[in-house]
Amino acid sequence: MRLVAAALLAVLVIGGLAVKLAQLQVTDGAILAGMARANTVHRVTLEADRGIIYDRHGVPLVANSPIWSLEVVPAGMPLDARARAIELAELARITAQPELQVAADLAAGDPYSSVPLEPSLSQEQELAINERLPQLPGASIVQRAVRTYVDPLVFGHVLGYVGPLNDADLKRLGKLGYQPGEVVGKVGVEAGLETLLRGRNGWADVEVDARGAIVRTIATQQPVPGDSVYLSLDASLQRATAQSLAAGLVRDGKTAGASVVLDPRTGEVLALVSLPGYDTNLFTHGISQADYSSLINNPDRPLLNRAIAGQYAPGSTFKMVTATAGLQEGKITAATLLSCPPYLNVNGWIYHNWASYSLGQMNVAKALATSCDTFFYQVAAMVGDVTLAKYARAFGFGQAKSIEMPGVMPGLVPDRFWKQLQCGVPDLNSDACRWNTGDTITFGIGQSYLLTTPLNQAVYVAALANGGQVMRPTLLDDVRDASGRDIQSLHPQVTGTVPASAANLMAVREGMREEINRPYNMNYWFRAAGVPADGGGKTGTAQWGGSGLDLPTHAWFVFFAPYAQPEVALSVFVERGELSEVEAAPIGVDVMRFYRDHVGAIRAGTV
Amino acid sequence: MTTIAAWRRLDHLQLLLIGMLAALGLMTVYSAQADWGRQLLWLLLGVCAYIAAAAFDYRRLRALAPGLYAGMILILLAVHLVGHSALGARRWLSVAGFPLEPSELSKLLLVVILAAYLSRSESVSWRSFGLTLLLVAPGAGLILTQPDLGTTIVFLAVLFGMLFLARARAWQLFSLVFAAGVALPLLPYLLHGYQRRRLEIFLDPNQDPLGAGYNLLQARIAVGAGGLFGQGWLHGLQGQLGFVPERATDFVFAIFAEEFGLLGSLVLLAVFGLLLIRLLRAAAVAPDRFGELLAGGVFVMILVQVVENVGMNIGLLPIAGIPLPLISYGGSATITTLAALGLVQSVVLRRREVVLGDGALGTITRRAQA
Repeated sequence: MRLVAAALLAVLVIGGLAVKLAQLQVTDGAILAGMARANTVHRVTLEADRGIIYDRHGVPLVANSPIWSLEVVPAGMPLDARARAIELAELARITAQPELQVAADLAAGDPYSSVPLEPSLSQEQELAINERLPQLPGASIVQRAVRTYVDPLVFGHVLGYVGPLNDADLKRLGKLGYQPGEVVGKVGVEAGLETLLRGRNGWADVEVDARGAIVRTIATQQPVPGDSVYLSLDASLQRATAQSLAAGLVRDGKTAGASVVLDPRTGEVLALVSLPGYDTNLFTHGISQADYSSLINNPDRPLLNRAIAGQYAPGSTFKMVTATAGLQEGKITAATLLSCPPYLNVNGWIYHNWASYSLGQMNVAKALATSCDTFFYQVAAMVGDVTLAKYARAFGFGQAKSIEMPGVMPGLVPDRFWKQLQCGVPDLNSDACRWNTGDTITFGIGQSYLLTTPLNQAVYVAALANGGQVMRPTLLDDVRDASGRDIQSLHPQVTGTVPASAANLMAVREGMREEINRPYNMNYWFRAAGVPADGGGKTGTAQWGGSGLDLPTHAWFVFFAPYAQPEVALSVFVERGELSEVEAAPIGVDVMRFYRDHVGAIRAGTV
Repeated sequence: MTTIAAWRRLDHLQLLLIGMLAALGLMTVYSAQADWGRQLLWLLLGVCAYIAAAAFDYRRLRALAPGLYAGMILILLAVHLVGHSALGARRWLSVAGFPLEPSELSKLLLVVILAAYLSRSESVSWRSFGLTLLLVAPGAGLILTQPDLGTTIVFLAVLFGMLFLARARAWQLFSLVFAAGVALPLLPYLLHGYQRRRLEIFLDPNQDPLGAGYNLLQARIAVGAGGLFGQGWLHGLQGQLGFVPERATDFVFAIFAEEFGLLGSLVLLAVFGLLLIRLLRAAAVAPDRFGELLAGGVFVMILVQVVENVGMNIGLLPIAGIPLPLISYGGSATITTLAALGLVQSVVLRRREVVLGDGALGTITRRAQA
């Protein structure tokens, strides 16, 4: 009886096991088989090489240099708790991180995937760790490519830098299939040309064992390197511009400035400098907290690209706009003579010229050459703020240029409507809201509420030089894919035309020519530098920080050359510069001297 | 009795089933990348033990029972005194350079001792019930404190099963069940930390998938990944790549199930089931009560190991270190199991039978009344 009962029991129990087995292997089989596959088959990303950035002559401005990082596969570490703790302590010691931090990093992700612990090892560290690797199961040294920039203090503001994707980038680029932790351009051309430079990552499906070691590769998709980008920048000219600007700043005890050189025929930017610069390589190699806060807290704001994002009053460099408006609107002719008194009295308010004596009767060209403020007060008053603003916008003022970099600022063109919109209270009679004649006449000499950027200034002077065409400034000359095939070349783009006759523009240019040929003043710098004063220019010393006398100033110089067939236009900006003829103009002349020698050498075929 | 006559009287089906299990076991151990040559050696040694046990007149064991009991207590004590540790438990003795796991041997010794003791009378008095418990307690205590929860479970199961087969009274059996019911809530306090953890993990395997729950989870994944037909011998992903822990011993069934699928697993369970029925049949034809209880005890011993091992591999029972008989890698267990089956064969050989008639279902035999 009991034997039969035992037999029944055995059959029942084994039958029960069979039922559970059937459920596991048939009903849940597919899910569990998927989990087994997920255990054993991993997709490894094969990173695409980021495209290299060259100057217009093929000089590389960045390299993908190798760097070693220490990575650990958590599943590969010893299972035994004590051995694991010993290894954890050793890893913490090597990476100089707190043990808790290392443990948290390792616990955070997929235990079968590599966790980078120390992203950039020095050569010595790499060698030292390599020796100890056999005692560190699960740990490995992985070689990666890292961006290393050439001369970051010279090219840094143009090239920018890359960094690991963050939440903000993900929001911006998410649709393009970016993965967390991927490297993306953050600022400069690296960000502006991200889609060209990025390339396409490949992958490999590898089979790994329970220790995380790769057993075999099942399938691969090779990565596609990013495109090679040839900038319109001329590396030598960029370097010379940076040196001239730096030397000029040092000479005058200034710390910040910017300069943009472009080709007025095409809008190609040949040089774009903002000082102070900063070491962009710090960012790609993992910047320390100390370095970062010293950059952030530096009062000269080295991270600010003044050439595209610094907004300042243009001062007297704006007078060509006022002149163009006056001529084109028929308020004056090239021959009209106006007085240049030491001051103008408008409704009881006194507006001064820079000279405390009368400069006599003069036409518009001479007014530009002598930069007579009171002449242009009168012209501005005749034209009116709304029309003046129209001409300013036509020259590209108040417009964020679409250049291949993020963070371009527009500047500001004011008029009576703008001022009213600034008012919180719609009280049209309050001084804060109502545009007054004083606003108009100071607008005429590039003050008032007017703001511009060094890039906008260069585009503006280029438009004066090329007969009124506002070019889209570009940093891109040529794009080639990994196989060297040309996939995109430059097409000059005109974004607007100044509504002024050729004759009127010529009258304005004539004033700019006279300005740089004025004896005892501008001409001196050209003669000293041995550069023919063949071109047109204008200086400007712009007041900022309120209204009144004895305000701090910025110094400007804009220039184009040669006079007959302009092929270069530039703007120079010296932050807190006090006398534009002495501080800004010599920098521009210095750049022109290099340009003449350099271009001469290129044309002679010796470069 | 001549050799040929003895051969004729043997349980041939049992031999065949043992051969199948040994072959499947060896294949799986090979697939689990354990030392299959060594396992083959254990099997050969086990076959020697099997033949010796079958040839040996099991009835003489009765007289030896007190000595065997003393020997069992001694080797278990020896483990505590001079044993080697592995994975936090002291379970091993070194005998002539070979590692020996006395708790494996003690399973068989317990069966012999209980069979000897319980066969002294036709029924179980309260007095002998109490003495039986006292008899088992020291050995069970020594094994539990090694600690070896798995073998302790086998011990208690053998005790219960043999009492049942010895026709213990319902109240006696119920009191054991009741005692277990009372002891269960105390279990967490009696268990070691890791054993308690295993129990918690069994109740919720996903709470620590890389730590304590790892074994259970990975074994379940391996079994499930086998599907209906299996991934093929030597082709189980989980097993071959080392995701299944203890893959040649405790979790060898997971390896088998992954590679041979549901069909293979059902075949394996069927083989075990048939073997178990053959053991009960041996008990039925045994010439005396000692032989009946001996065969019945071996039945219980193998049944509980198969159920617990397969059960923990498929997540039905909590994890306890119990080998799958004749499949798991291990010398002590393999030799002990084969010796136990040999003893059952010895019982079969010495049966006295009255032929009731040759029917279509085979020869129906009945144990002669003593």
